Amino acid sequence: MKRIRVERWGGQLLPQRIPRTRCPFSTEAVYTPYHPPRYQAYSENDRLRRPTSIARRHATSTTHPPRTPVPSSPPPPASNDAVEDVDIPSQAPETSSTTSPAPPVKSAKLAALHARLSLPSRLPLRTLHRCLIDATANPHPAHNNSSLAILGQDLLGYYTAEYLLCKYPRIPMAVLFAAQYAYIGAKTLNSMRGEWGVEAAAAPGAEVDKGLLQYRRQKAGNAMAEDGTGREKDATETRPTGTGRTNEQWNYRRGISSRIVYDDQFGDLQNGPASNSSSSLVDSETPASSSLAQRQTGESTTLEQASATFIHALAGALYLHCGASATHNFHTIHVISRHLPIHTLFSFKHPTRDLSRLCAREGFEAPVARLISETGRASRHPVFVVGVYSGQEKLGEDAGASLNEGRIRAAAQALRSWYLYSPMDFRVPSEMERQRGKDKGKPKAKDWTPVMIDPGEIIT
Amino acid sequence: MPLQALRSVAKSQNGVGAFILQCKRLDFHYCDWAGSSKGMKCAPLMNAFARQNPQIEITISPRPRKHPVIRGTYINGREKAVCVRNMEKEQVLEKANLLRDASGEKLRKVTKPVKSLNESVRGIWDPFHGSEWKI
Repeated sequence: MKRIRVERWGGQLLPQRIPRTRCPFSTEAVYTPYHPPRYQAYSENDRLRRPTSIARRHATSTTHPPRTPVPSSPPPPASNDAVEDVDIPSQAPETSSTTSPAPPVKSAKLAALHARLSLPSRLPLRTLHRCLIDATANPHPAHNNSSLAILGQDLLGYYTAEYLLCKYPRIPMAVLFAAQYAYIGAKTLNSMRGEWGVEAAAAPGAEVDKGLLQYRRQKAGNAMAEDGTGREKDATETRPTGTGRTNEQWNYRRGISSRIVYDDQFGDLQNGPASNSSSSLVDSETPASSSLAQRQTGESTTLEQASATFIHALAGALYLHCGASATHNFHTIHVISRHLPIHTLFSFKHPTRDLSRLCAREGFEAPVARLISETGRASRHPVFVVGVYSGQEKLGEDAGASLNEGRIRAAAQALRSWYLYSPMDFRVPSEMERQRGKDKGKPKAKDWTPVMIDPGEIIT
Repeated sequence: MPLQALRSVAKSQNGVGAFILQCKRLDFHYCDWAGSSKGMKCAPLMNAFARQNPQIEITISPRPRKHPVIRGTYINGREKAVCVRNMEKEQVLEKANLLRDASGEKLRKVTKPVKSLNESVRGIWDPFHGSEWKI
C-alpha cells in the first residue's frame, strides 16, 4: 500500500494562481492594482530581470514560477478558471492583473514575528499573513487560515499524542485527553499567542496592520437563559443530540470509550458544548444571541478559538513549505518544551480499590498498607507516613493527617507510579518518516522496534 | 468510578525549547530643533541595530519640543522608557541594547541563585525516613 503523500495533496492549499480578490471589509473606495515603482513597462521580460530577493523576509509571494535565464518561458495562464469555481458575490475578481505578482507584504510587525519565532526563510511572509486571518475575517478560502488550520491541527494533535503515548505507555485515557488539552488545547494556544507577542486587531480590514490577528469578535455571552434564572453561558451542558452516537437518551453516559470514537482529540464534543442538532437550535434561539450558533455559522469567534486556529495554520503552513522535520521541530520547541507535571492531572475516587484490582490482574500479592513512621498522634496536626506493600516490595508511600488518609494517599501514589511508568529511551513512530526523508537511498540507520503497549487501565 | 482527570494548561519555559525575545517593539523619538537629540540622530548605527535585531519592530518618529526618548514594549504588555537627552550616539546605542536585553518585569532584587519549576534532585530532608525510625 502506498504512503499517503500529504505534502503533494496539501499543495492545493497554497496560492496557485489566485487573483487578488478584495477583502469584504475593506474601506477603500477604489481598489487600484499595484504597480511596482521601478518598472514602467510591465512585461514578462522585466519580471524575469528583476533580481531575486536575497532577504527572503521581504519576498513577495509563492506564485512565481522558478526563474529561468531563458526568457522564452510562456507567461502563466490567466487564472480565470479559479475565479469561476469560487462563487463569492461580494468580491470583484481583477482579471486584468492576473499575470502580475501580488504586491509585497510590507509590515514591520509581521517581519518581526517571523524573526521572533525563528521561522525558516522558506516560509514566506505572505503565508504568515494568511495564517493570521481567520475565516470570520475573510470568508474566501484562499485568503484565510481555515484550510491550513485543518492540516496543522491534525499534525499537532498527532505529534502530541504519539509523544504522550510513547513516553507514558500506561497513561489512562482520561489523563491522555487532559494532557493533550494541556499541551495544545485552545486555552494553551491562546496563551502561546500572547507569549509570541501577536496582538489582535479590533476589527478585520484591509487597512489593518498585517502583523495583527484578524477575526470578527463575538458579542459577550451575557444573555439570560430561557428559564430566566441564570445566564446562558453558565447553563449546565444540555443533552447533546447531534453527536453521531447511536444512544443519546438521558440514561446513557458519554463515557470514555464513547468519547474516543465520537469526540475530538480532547474528549470534547466536536461542535462544542450543548451541540444540539441544527434544526432545534435555529428554532429555539436566534443566531445572534447564541454564541455557539455564531461560531458555527462563521459570523464571529472568540479570541481563544482564533488563536488556536492561527497556530494550527502556522503548523500547516510550515509543513507545506518546509516539510515534516521543520514541523516536528516546531512542535518540539514550542509545545513539548512547556512544563506539564502530569502527576497533577490525576484524580482518584477509590484508589485502594483500583490498586487492589491492579495487583490481582498483574498477579502481585494483595496490597497491604503499613505505617512507616508517624509523629504527633495526639496533637492537632499528626503526620502518618504510610506505605503500601505487595509482599515485601513497596509500591508507594505518602503522608496524611490520619491513618486512613495516609493509606488512601499511598494507594493513589502507587497507582500514579504505575500509570506514569516511562521507558528510559523512547522513540516515536514519526521519527521513521523523518529518517526516511533525510537519508534517501541510504539504508535506515535504526530499524523500528515496537514500543510497549499496555493492556489498559483499571476499570472499576 | 474509574479515575478522572483535571484539566490544566502547560506552562511555558522560554529558552528551554524556543527562545522568544521579550522586547517586541522599540520606538525612537527625537526632536529636530532641540540640541539634546544630537546623539540620537545616528542613522548608520540605527540601521545596524535594526539588522542585528530583526525580531524587534522599530519605529522612528519626531516628537517635537521634547527630549529624545527610547520606549520599549514587551511581551508581558509593560513598557519601559529611557530618556537619552544629551547622550553621544554610542551611549544611545547602549541604552537601546539595555532595553532590548530587558524583560518587561519590574526591577527587583534577586536573592536566590536558582529559580526552577523542577523539584530538587536529591529531595528535601524530612525527619520521617531516617534510620532511627522503628514503628
